[in-house]
Amino acid sequence: MTDWLSPEEWNAVALSLRVSVWATLISLPFGIATAMLLARGRFWGRQVLNGIVHLPLILPPVVTGYLLLLTFGRKGVIGGFLAESLGIVLAFRWTGAVLAAAVMAFPLMVRAIRLAVEAVDPKLEQAASTLGASRFWVFVTVTLPLILPGVITGAVLAFAKAMGEFGATITFVANIPGETQTLPSAIYGFLQVPGGDASAARLVVIAVSVAMTALVASEILARAATRRITGQ
Amino acid sequence: MLRPFALAVVLALPTQGDAAEITVFAASSLKDALDPIAVAWGAETGNSVVISYGGSAALAKQITQGAPAEVYISAAANWMDVLQGEALIQPESRVDLLGNSLVLVAHGAGGAPVTLSPDLDVEALLAGGKLAMGMVASVPAGQYGKEAMTALGLWEKAQPFVVQSENVRASLALVASGEAGFGIVYGSDAIAEARVSVVATFPEASHSPIVYPAALTQTATPEAQAFVAALQGPEAREVFRAQGFTPLQD
Repeated sequence: MTDWLSPEEWNAVALSLRVSVWATLISLPFGIATAMLLARGRFWGRQVLNGIVHLPLILPPVVTGYLLLLTFGRKGVIGGFLAESLGIVLAFRWTGAVLAAAVMAFPLMVRAIRLAVEAVDPKLEQAASTLGASRFWVFVTVTLPLILPGVITGAVLAFAKAMGEFGATITFVANIPGETQTLPSAIYGFLQVPGGDASAARLVVIAVSVAMTALVASEILARAATRRITGQ
Repeated sequence: MLRPFALAVVLALPTQGDAAEITVFAASSLKDALDPIAVAWGAETGNSVVISYGGSAALAKQITQGAPAEVYISAAANWMDVLQGEALIQPESRVDLLGNSLVLVAHGAGGAPVTLSPDLDVEALLAGGKLAMGMVASVPAGQYGKEAMTALGLWEKAQPFVVQSENVRASLALVASGEAGFGIVYGSDAIAEARVSVVATFPEASHSPIVYPAALTQTATPEAQAFVAALQGPEAREVFRAQGFTPLQD
C-alpha cells in the first residue's frame, strides 16, 4: 500500500481526512443551532441569516476564499485580532483549511438538519414540557434523537464536501505540502504537469472511495437511527 | 451531380463577406498584452479574434480533446512539446514568441533593493512573513523560481516560508494584499500590479529560459497564420514590450 502512493500523495490524503473531520466536528454544533433557528425562529432578519448561510453555495469558491483571506488573513480584521491577541494564525495553516472547508460545507449541513427539524412533531416536545422538562432537556431527550438521521446526513454531506473543497482552500491557505496541500490541491497540481495523469488518477480513486464509504456509512447510521425513533 | 456540389460551396462560404473569425487559446498571463493587439489587428483586417485564456496545461488538454483552437500560445515549452508529440500542431509554425524575466517582488511601493547572493539572510528578509510562489512542482513560475533559488543557494533557506499558489497571478495577489511579504513572479506580472515593487531580478543564468511558444494547430486557417505573423510584427512587439515581455523573434 505504501508503495502504491508516494509520501507526498499520502500526506495529501491524510491531511484531507484530518481537515474534513475537524471541519465537520467543529461546524456541527453551529449547524444544529442555525438549523433550529431557521426552522423555528420567528425573528427579524431570519431571511438575511438564511441568505448568508447559503452564500458559499452561490458564490464562486475563489471569491469565498478571497473573502476569508481578507477577513481572516494576517492583515484581515478578524485575522489580525486573532493573531495579535490570541496568537492564532489561520492563513496558510491547516487550521485555515479547516475553516475554509467548514464554511463551504456549512449550507449543505444546515439544509439537511433543517429539514429534519421541520419534520419533528411539536406535540412530542410539548408533551415533554408539560411533564416538567426544561427547554434544554426537551432538546436533548426529544428533539435531538428525532433529528438524528438529519444530523448524520448533514454531517456526512459536509464531510464529503470538505474532502472535495478546492477553490476556497487554495485561495485562502495556498498549497503547502504537508500543511495545506489537500487531496484536491494535489490532484490539481498533478494535472498541471505533463505525464501527471497517473498520479492524479490514483488520488481520484481514493477520493471517490472515501466519499462512497462515507455515504454508505451515513445511510446505515441514518437507517439505524430511524429504526430507533419509529421503534420498528 | 452539380447540385450537392453547389450546396457544399454555399455552406463552406463565410457568412459575412471576407471576414473570418479565428480562435486563439492563450496563457492567462498574456491577457493584458494580447487583448489590445487582437483588437487592433481585427480593426485593421476586418477579421475577428476570439481568445480563450486559461492555464497552459488546461488549454493543452482541451486541444488534445479536440477543442477548436487554431492558435495556441503557451507560457511554457513543455505543454507545446506534448501537443507537438501528438501531432496536434504544425511543427514548422512553432515559434518562440516571447521571453519574460523572473523577479522578486515586495509588498507596497518602493521596496528596498535586495541582492540575490548565497549569503542572503532569507529569514531576516522575510521577517516572519511568507514568500509567495507558483506551485513549484507544476506552475511554470514556481518551477523557474525554485530552479533560480536553488542555483543561488537560497532554496534550502527559503523553503520553510514558501506559500504555493495555483497560478502566478494568485501569488502576485498575495503580495499585493500584504498576506505574503515577498513573492517570485514574472517581470510582466510586476508591471501589472501597482501595490508591489520589484526588489530584485533573478539572473538569466539562474533558471531555464522563460519562453512563450506559439504555434498553429492542424485546423488553422490562413487568417490564423496571418495573426501569428502579426504577433511578431512591430506594433505587437511594442505592446508586448510595454507589458514587460521580451519579443524573441530574430
